[in-house]
Amino acid sequence: MANQIIFYVLATIIAIFSVLAVTSNKIIRSALYLLFVLLSTAGLYLLLGYPYLFGVQIAVYAGGVMVLFIFAIFLTNKPGDKVDKERPIRRIVAGITAFTGLAFCAHVFYYNIARVFATVAIEESKIQVIGHTLMGTEKYQYLLPFEVISILLLACIVGSIMIARKR
Amino acid sequence: MSSVSQYFSGLFTGIRSLMKGMAVTWVELWTKKVTAQYPENRDTLVISDRFRCELIMPHDTNNEHACTACGICVMNCPNGTIKIESEMIETADGKKKKVLKQYTYDLGMCTFCNLCVVTCPSDAIKFDNTFENAIFTRSKLVQTLNREGSKLREKKKETPAPVAE
Amino acid sequence: MILNYSQPLEFSNLSSWLDATLRNNLSEFWTLLIEFVLVGVLLLAAYAVIALVLIYVERKITAFFQARFGPNRVGQYGLLQSLADMIKILLKEIIHINKVDKFLFYAAPFFMVGASMLTFGAIAFGKGLQAVDFNIGVLYVTAVSSLGIIGVLLAGWSSNNKYSMIGAMRSGAQFVSYELSAGFALMTMVVLSGTMQFSEMINQQAYCWNIFNGHISSIIAFFIYLISGHAETNRGPFDLPEAESELTAGYHTEYSGLQFGFFYLAEYLNMFIIASIATAVFLGGWMPIQIKGWEAFNQIMNYIPSYVWFFSKTGVLIFFSLWVRWSFPRLRIDQLLNLEWKYLLPINLVNLLVMVILVLTGLTLTDLFPNWF
Repeated sequence: MANQIIFYVLATIIAIFSVLAVTSNKIIRSALYLLFVLLSTAGLYLLLGYPYLFGVQIAVYAGGVMVLFIFAIFLTNKPGDKVDKERPIRRIVAGITAFTGLAFCAHVFYYNIARVFATVAIEESKIQVIGHTLMGTEKYQYLLPFEVISILLLACIVGSIMIARKR
Repeated sequence: MSSVSQYFSGLFTGIRSLMKGMAVTWVELWTKKVTAQYPENRDTLVISDRFRCELIMPHDTNNEHACTACGICVMNCPNGTIKIESEMIETADGKKKKVLKQYTYDLGMCTFCNLCVVTCPSDAIKFDNTFENAIFTRSKLVQTLNREGSKLREKKKETPAPVAE
Repeated sequence: MILNYSQPLEFSNLSSWLDATLRNNLSEFWTLLIEFVLVGVLLLAAYAVIALVLIYVERKITAFFQARFGPNRVGQYGLLQSLADMIKILLKEIIHINKVDKFLFYAAPFFMVGASMLTFGAIAFGKGLQAVDFNIGVLYVTAVSSLGIIGVLLAGWSSNNKYSMIGAMRSGAQFVSYELSAGFALMTMVVLSGTMQFSEMINQQAYCWNIFNGHISSIIAFFIYLISGHAETNRGPFDLPEAESELTAGYHTEYSGLQFGFFYLAEYLNMFIIASIATAVFLGGWMPIQIKGWEAFNQIMNYIPSYVWFFSKTGVLIFFSLWVRWSFPRLRIDQLLNLEWKYLLPINLVNLLVMVILVLTGLTLTDLFPNWF
């Protein structure tokens, strides 16, 4: 019962703040609402009994990405000003795109949830297992994607240094 | 090569200087504390003689002071702190003479600039170092400096040693 | 091993008795509810009390370093000083400023307090005195403590004050960079102990603290963790986000009363949290000093309750932090970033590698001298 109550509270928070994050006029407030959404998602992971995902969600999204977002917003021109409303045609197009995406995801989830539930382990995998999986080279292990992503990040860093040097 | 060695020498000299700084503060932690604990140390408290706290008019054992009521201190006071009331009396040999009736000093107005003491031609006033002047009503700050029944010290007479206030 | 010794003063005796009594008399739901509420209330109370004690200790030690006496008028030796300050700050008016972004301005202090509260829960105060013990404890602590910086950034921006803004930006840059080397230092120790769970980490250190176990590498990691943790709390030589002479009070310039109190509380508690995590990871947490083979000695050491051990180890580290704080002048922002990116981070990366080699080649003390440790 307690689980259900907590779930509904978190779900309400996620729903309300994701709507607010999109509709808010001030960009910094949108960032903060998005942060609340991410934090409550982390709460959901904790409710599922999966603290590793909770920790990563907070460390990466709330602690890392959101701080960078807020920093970037601070560095823009006049972050406190209200954003102008978009033209109606654009808003309609954006709305349709968003709903298409939502419908697509919902469809995929609805028809595949049973399969996912059957294959994914219910109990929490140990952190050592996760580490070995990330660093292993056997089947269903992820060293190659991991290294590819790190090369991508390296390229990003080099590119940003190049851009900064040119000025 | 030089930049690499510079990096490491910089690192180690930095660490050494930080350690030296911490050694200094460690010694300082155990030094005798210097804060004066005021109300407790009243008996041993030493206030410099030149510290200006309050204007006084020294009287000697005969209850005589040196003020001739000339009014120079009043004129020199930038704030109007001092007020002098004088009166004309006739001395025994028939001369008219101006004597001091009341010397009023307002401590609340005083900036302790010492101009009155410096300009006094007969050294009748001076600043004392009794610093505990806090009181509850402002009117008490207005003091009369000359004592009851005191009079001007005669010049020719041998002056007895002035008594400390 | 440790359970064999008699520990009459241990807190876990009381808590297990309480748990047993509740379970006997009530259903599981109500037992859990009562226990959760009790733990929450106890943590909040401990949060406030530790902050008060820390404020008093800091003022006293600061004074001793400057050849003063410190607070000694309110109560015996000034013991009630921080209590009086607390009452004063509770009664103070909260000034409402017109041109601030109201929502963000009032939300910001809660981020600070919330982040340090969440971290506070993961601290092992003693045997069985730990509120949350995830198997990812170290990751949890680093993740959750990084939320505080959002409060600082929001406070600085929403105050609509250029000093606050500059202070917040500095604080942000400082926190983001030093969090990295704090995380790496902890990661080095995770490599050594092979677990991220605090309770397991502490149990491993019964006979050999991690700082000795990994010798060179551990000691370097220890000092790097202390330095970067110190920088994360915006104190000591790294207090340029709130440099009084340039920025009035940095990001909390516009705050008053209880809201300022929140920032103040969070600052002191962060100092405590850094010290206690360092205690848990490097100095064996609440584990008493024990030596293999000296049964009588171990018996005596175990008689001293574990929370006393924890608080004394943490106290030493806090004293160390204060010592550093009152020894060194404030760094400039470029010096601060140089220290992190040119010295601490490269040393840290090399150190992590050295630790991996030490563990893999079996050069840690427990591997070298299995009979002693």
